[in-house]
Amino acid sequence: MSTVYAILDFPALKWAFVVLALVMPLASLLTWAERRQSAMMQDRLGPNRANIGPIKIKGILHFVADALKMIFKEDFIPANVHRGLFALAPILALAPVLIAFSIIPFGPTIYPHQFNDPAGLHVVELATNPASPMFADSIRMQIFSIDFGLIFYFAVLTLANYGGTIAGWASYNKWALLGGLRSSSQMMSYEVAMGLGLMGVFLVTGTLEPGAIVAHGASANWSPANPLNWLWLWQPVGFLLFFTAAIAETKRAPFDIPEGEPEIIGYFVEYSGIRWGMFFLAEFIEIVFISSVIATVFFGGYQVPFLDPDGFRFGGYVDPTTHVSMGGYFLGLRHWLVVLLQFGAFGLKVILLSSFQLLVRWTLPRFRADQLMNLGWKLLLPLSLANIMVTALIKLIFMGN
Amino acid sequence: MSAAHDDHGHGHGHAEAHEGPIVVAVSDRHPRVRTIQVSRPGQQDVNYLAATTKGLGITLKHFAKNLVAPLRKLSSRSRAGAPPLEESNQSAIETVQYPEEKVVYPERFRGLHRLMLRDDGAVRCVACMCCPTVCPAHCITIVPEESDAKGIEKRPAIFEIDELRCVVCGLCVEACPCDAIRMDTGMHAKPVEDRANAIETKDSMMGRGIVSIAKQGGEGPAWREHLPAPKDVNR
Repeated sequence: MSTVYAILDFPALKWAFVVLALVMPLASLLTWAERRQSAMMQDRLGPNRANIGPIKIKGILHFVADALKMIFKEDFIPANVHRGLFALAPILALAPVLIAFSIIPFGPTIYPHQFNDPAGLHVVELATNPASPMFADSIRMQIFSIDFGLIFYFAVLTLANYGGTIAGWASYNKWALLGGLRSSSQMMSYEVAMGLGLMGVFLVTGTLEPGAIVAHGASANWSPANPLNWLWLWQPVGFLLFFTAAIAETKRAPFDIPEGEPEIIGYFVEYSGIRWGMFFLAEFIEIVFISSVIATVFFGGYQVPFLDPDGFRFGGYVDPTTHVSMGGYFLGLRHWLVVLLQFGAFGLKVILLSSFQLLVRWTLPRFRADQLMNLGWKLLLPLSLANIMVTALIKLIFMGN
Repeated sequence: MSAAHDDHGHGHGHAEAHEGPIVVAVSDRHPRVRTIQVSRPGQQDVNYLAATTKGLGITLKHFAKNLVAPLRKLSSRSRAGAPPLEESNQSAIETVQYPEEKVVYPERFRGLHRLMLRDDGAVRCVACMCCPTVCPAHCITIVPEESDAKGIEKRPAIFEIDELRCVVCGLCVEACPCDAIRMDTGMHAKPVEDRANAIETKDSMMGRGIVSIAKQGGEGPAWREHLPAPKDVNR
């Protein structure tokens, strides 16, 4: 039996599960949800026709039709393109986003031997004696738990930028090249603000490991399941900065300068068929990824409000030695139910945040290139520096370390 | 002179005299030359974050309303004798689901032509050539022939209308002295793969002889008195 658990805990398998079972379907559905939501925001209906026989769930199958269309469409490669790089660019745009998902804790650690224990998870035992056989064969629902998790995400996602730039260069097209250059300049400008926006989080929590941020929250004195202990309240400016810069990173309106449909079409102007589809999919996967990062860092990841690992608890306190929540009004739940609820909470948070990104994309008009640079360098960057200063000062004054 | 100005000029009484811009001074040369106080956009429109929040609120409101309205409708239907939904709770979606739903055309909508029939089923047209003469698009072709009917000299041997050239102006209907051609079928010109197929023949137009969305049966010279009360076009 433990072999089965060991296989389930295998990173490549978990990655395949996350990408194929969670991310890809969600991103594909987003292509439909975007059109549907934008339509309803504008008092229209949106696509509601696609069906397989009688199965027509509000046109949700449009993404299947889209995928089939893109796969079977002619893959046209213009003359004079650099064929190797032209073929490489979509992969370079898509792959890093999928890799970056490996740092996201999309669920709690599962302890199979505790799964159906009527007393719930033995949290005190877990805190004091984690090597006990009760907690053997645990499955961590995070692919890589690395101390530099968020740095890793920045490093990997920066590679996605090469996809756009190389596509622009390899296409042998002036508009594509302009789009590629705009893409790289935009990424450079906003990654600074994005990274510095998260530095405040690092100062508050003292870690860059997303799993640890979710598991401990902002303050060790409160339960991590308390919504007030999530970082949106502790880093509101950092949250706004990160969110703004992250939307810019997805290269969607109001920051769609690299694509610029009304003027230059952008770096993928020469692409067609499934190669273009890969750019398109990468964009939507980035939305899901950005939502996952924001949910993880600022909204408590898989934490359900007031749901501690052993059950719902209102009030109560955190034991200073074991860091386990105690007392309060308590409703015990079995481990499998807690795990299920926490998975659901993470999914719901990601879906809501993705929907909010669609709302932003369909509400705000696009920036001009110079306005974009002004916002990035003259507003977001100084604000993020000020945020770090103020956070550090507050921490120094009130916590003394 | 703008419409708004017209309203003020002819006035709805003193109640509306105070509306409009705040007048600081009036020229002694001409009363319409005035110094007015212009209102600048408030802080909310200048501040990007506040304006963004406001805009997001508006779109979110529309989205939420259209998302929830079908559920409200469903729940209100399940209760017997429930009052109809308030205006503010109804879905604001304007989309017409075309093949299933169709917009009702106005009664005087000009559609595909039809040729009226006599009681015996013969065409009413006497081939007087008024309609091809008046047609600005030269889309009507009539070849007359001698008629067998008593008291009628001519009838059309060929009566063709090229619907691709027709500008749907309705002048042929106006020109016809014996009410033989009408455009009240409420039908659109059919899509065709060949231009020749867009030409309506005498038979096809006679085939629509009794199709009409308009009221039939001549009302006589007093037709205006029989008109229904005008409808509120703007809902």
